[in-house]
Amino acid sequence: MNARASAQLLRLSCGSRHREKLLRNCSAERGLQSRTTPEFKANSTTRDHLHVPQLLLLSAQRPRDNDEEGQRRTMMASFGQHITGALRGSCLKTTKQGGNGLRGLEQQFTNTLRLGPTVTSRRCMTTQLVTEADFKTIQAAPHLDLNALRLPSHARPVPVSPSYFSRTPRFNDSYLAIQKLLRSYDKLPMIPSTAVERVTWCDLETIRRRLGEPVRASDYSRCLALIKKLHSIHPQMKPGPVKEALEGFKRSVQGFQNVAKPIPIDRFGRAVGVGKRKSSVARAWVVEGTGEVQINGKSLAGAFGRVHDRESAIWALRATDRVDKYNVWALVEGGGTTGQAEALTLAISKALMAHEPALKPALRRAGCVTRDPRKVERKKAGHLKARKSPTWVKR
Amino acid sequence: MSAPNCLRCLTRPSTAVLRHSIAVPNAVASWTASAPFSTTATAAAGPTKGARPTSQPKRMETGHIRSGRRVTISKSKHRKQAGARGKTPLPGERKAYRKKIQLSNSNALHVHWLSDLDAKHMLDAANVTKVMGLPDALVDQLRAVEAFKPKQTWGFFRKPSTLIRPETVDLVTRMQQAATDKQTLKLVLDGDKLTGKSILMLQAMSHAFFNEWIVIHIPEAQELTTAVTEYAPIPGTDPVQYMQQNYALKLIQNIRKANEKVLVRMATAYSHPEIPQQMPIGSSLMQLANSAKEPENAWTIFMALWKELTANTRGRVPILFALDGLSHIMKVSDYRSPAFELIHSHDLALVRLFTDCLGGNISLPYGGAILAATTRNNVQRSLSMELAIAQREAEQLGAEKPLRQAYIRGYDHRVEAAMRAAQVIKVKGINKLEARSLMEYWAASGVLRTTVDELSVSEKWMLSGNGVLGEMERASLLTMRI
Repeated sequence: MNARASAQLLRLSCGSRHREKLLRNCSAERGLQSRTTPEFKANSTTRDHLHVPQLLLLSAQRPRDNDEEGQRRTMMASFGQHITGALRGSCLKTTKQGGNGLRGLEQQFTNTLRLGPTVTSRRCMTTQLVTEADFKTIQAAPHLDLNALRLPSHARPVPVSPSYFSRTPRFNDSYLAIQKLLRSYDKLPMIPSTAVERVTWCDLETIRRRLGEPVRASDYSRCLALIKKLHSIHPQMKPGPVKEALEGFKRSVQGFQNVAKPIPIDRFGRAVGVGKRKSSVARAWVVEGTGEVQINGKSLAGAFGRVHDRESAIWALRATDRVDKYNVWALVEGGGTTGQAEALTLAISKALMAHEPALKPALRRAGCVTRDPRKVERKKAGHLKARKSPTWVKR
Repeated sequence: MSAPNCLRCLTRPSTAVLRHSIAVPNAVASWTASAPFSTTATAAAGPTKGARPTSQPKRMETGHIRSGRRVTISKSKHRKQAGARGKTPLPGERKAYRKKIQLSNSNALHVHWLSDLDAKHMLDAANVTKVMGLPDALVDQLRAVEAFKPKQTWGFFRKPSTLIRPETVDLVTRMQQAATDKQTLKLVLDGDKLTGKSILMLQAMSHAFFNEWIVIHIPEAQELTTAVTEYAPIPGTDPVQYMQQNYALKLIQNIRKANEKVLVRMATAYSHPEIPQQMPIGSSLMQLANSAKEPENAWTIFMALWKELTANTRGRVPILFALDGLSHIMKVSDYRSPAFELIHSHDLALVRLFTDCLGGNISLPYGGAILAATTRNNVQRSLSMELAIAQREAEQLGAEKPLRQAYIRGYDHRVEAAMRAAQVIKVKGINKLEARSLMEYWAASGVLRTTVDELSVSEKWMLSGNGVLGEMERASLLTMRI
């Protein structure tokens, strides 16, 4: 019986005929049959438009015992009044004029909505067994005062920020905020620029993209100067608002925070370095020794036919006078001889730096620290190679 | 009159006009050819005569104004350039230059502390790491047997000199032992490119010359098997063997020149009816060697000489039979039989002689050494030779012998038989002490201009792939560093 009733409830919005039937049944149960009068029939058309609040009411109100019945009834009445009022809008006046007749109608309507406990005990269709305890947690929605939301008729909307009418409102706001912060924290102790934590600030393009505004380069550079000044406040004294404001100007990826992973020296005393050049990749295991080299299982002379390539390969050791201090065991693959030799330079120098970090400046001077990023240039359409044009022929 | 021409010029490709104009007679051609330029000037000039026709084709070459200009190089310029090239080298001159061996350089500094090698030096382990000069008499003998190779760096120094290595002492001691025991040392020198195998052979030959052995040296084995010398079947041999008369003649001459002192002392033990000259028993071997003047009987005389040298009579001396480029004779040769089948290298009589010696089929009554050096240049792999060398090495070390791979076909049982009895010396790079000694010699000769200290020695040693001798020379002498 219950299940069927709830199923009917769900079908409420389907058609007015069903709803009428249901309502009639409900009122019959509550002993209100005498009120199903011609009035009701006459106003059935009006009620068709009200099916949304009906459902609202049905889902919100759950009568459980007879003790709460009175309280519930008053709540429902007031709510129903407001809803109908809101829906009627400008018809409020006529309602007042209409007097008792219309009020009676409303009352009648709300009364009809009060369904018997058997019908309303289920909220909706469910496959789970719903206990009474579940319903106790559900609270009624608070009172909604629609009058408070209504603006006075003479009011005019005013933007929150005065920058609203400028070309770059969001940027201007943040710029002003920065200025204000600087003005207020100007007297805090600053540290020298060399000691300041390095930060990559947003560049112009990024800030434009981030704010979606055509920020001017000159404005942004001025703003950045202030930002940098704020940033140089002593870190222990730096106020929270300043930190927050500066966060917005930092780039999402902070390159300076990258810390190179140190190359460990394993229990056999080996350090492995990886080097790349062109399309070659080299791994070199460097260990203290007497200057023996093995590359891909071959000697240096076996691996590289050109003396120049051999010199390139061990250049890191040679430039630092460590030729007879270390042994090298390396694997190289990809690319040609030059690429492999120069990949080895980098690999050996990295492994060497793991043994002796103090050699880094010397190795940098020898050109063994920076990876050469040059690669084969791609071929272009209309060209024979990357840049070579076909022979010019006059027609 | 001008209108149709101009239209034609506009509508038709200019080249078609020109091609067409070539076929027509001169007077007409001049008119059609000039039409595209202007119709008025030529029309005013009237029909050409005299010198005009000769100038016309030139004008036609320039073509239509729209076809652009082309740079034409006149034939006369080409001829001039060809003439200016100078004299081309005569036939064989380039090869002679390529094969030239220069053994001294008067621009190099004289190294005053350099002492000359003698018979005992190479036997003494105390002389290891020393650089020693080759005495002039020895140089002549070595030159006669072609022990010096063109690509070696003799020409950088005042006089030829050599580094005594542990391998040298080892090899020479073995040779000495074999001679004392009247045994035949059969030895193969193997090692990477430029490790000094040929130089080690040269040192062995020096030892032989010092001790008055007979030295027979085949400097380039590939000359025997790459079908560059004449060959002919030896009559009455089954299976057929082939002789190389020209090479045999050259070899006899080399032997005669290098071993003159010893050959003169020795007398023949057999009469040799097979050779054309009358050679009574007791005549000197020098005489026998001298009898080879033309290739016709060279092989017979060589065999007669060999028979005499290996005769078990008094007054004979140990023999060193050396061959450089063993890999070339351990394969099928490029020669073909009359049936147009490839001849195996071991069917060439001279090669057969060497492999029989190396394999132990021929023993030398007064002892001696059969020495071969492998080569890594210009040669196809010989699986059997590599396997045999690996097996001999394993035997020497007492390790497990490697076996043939079951699924590879290229093995050759004749090669394996030839190398069954050989010992192997693996020639490797020199150590740093030797490298230092060598570099000091280079520096003293004024060829190496850096200070020779531990660092520079280590560097060159490393650059040369852990002390490969030839690579050290490449890295320090042949690379220009000013």
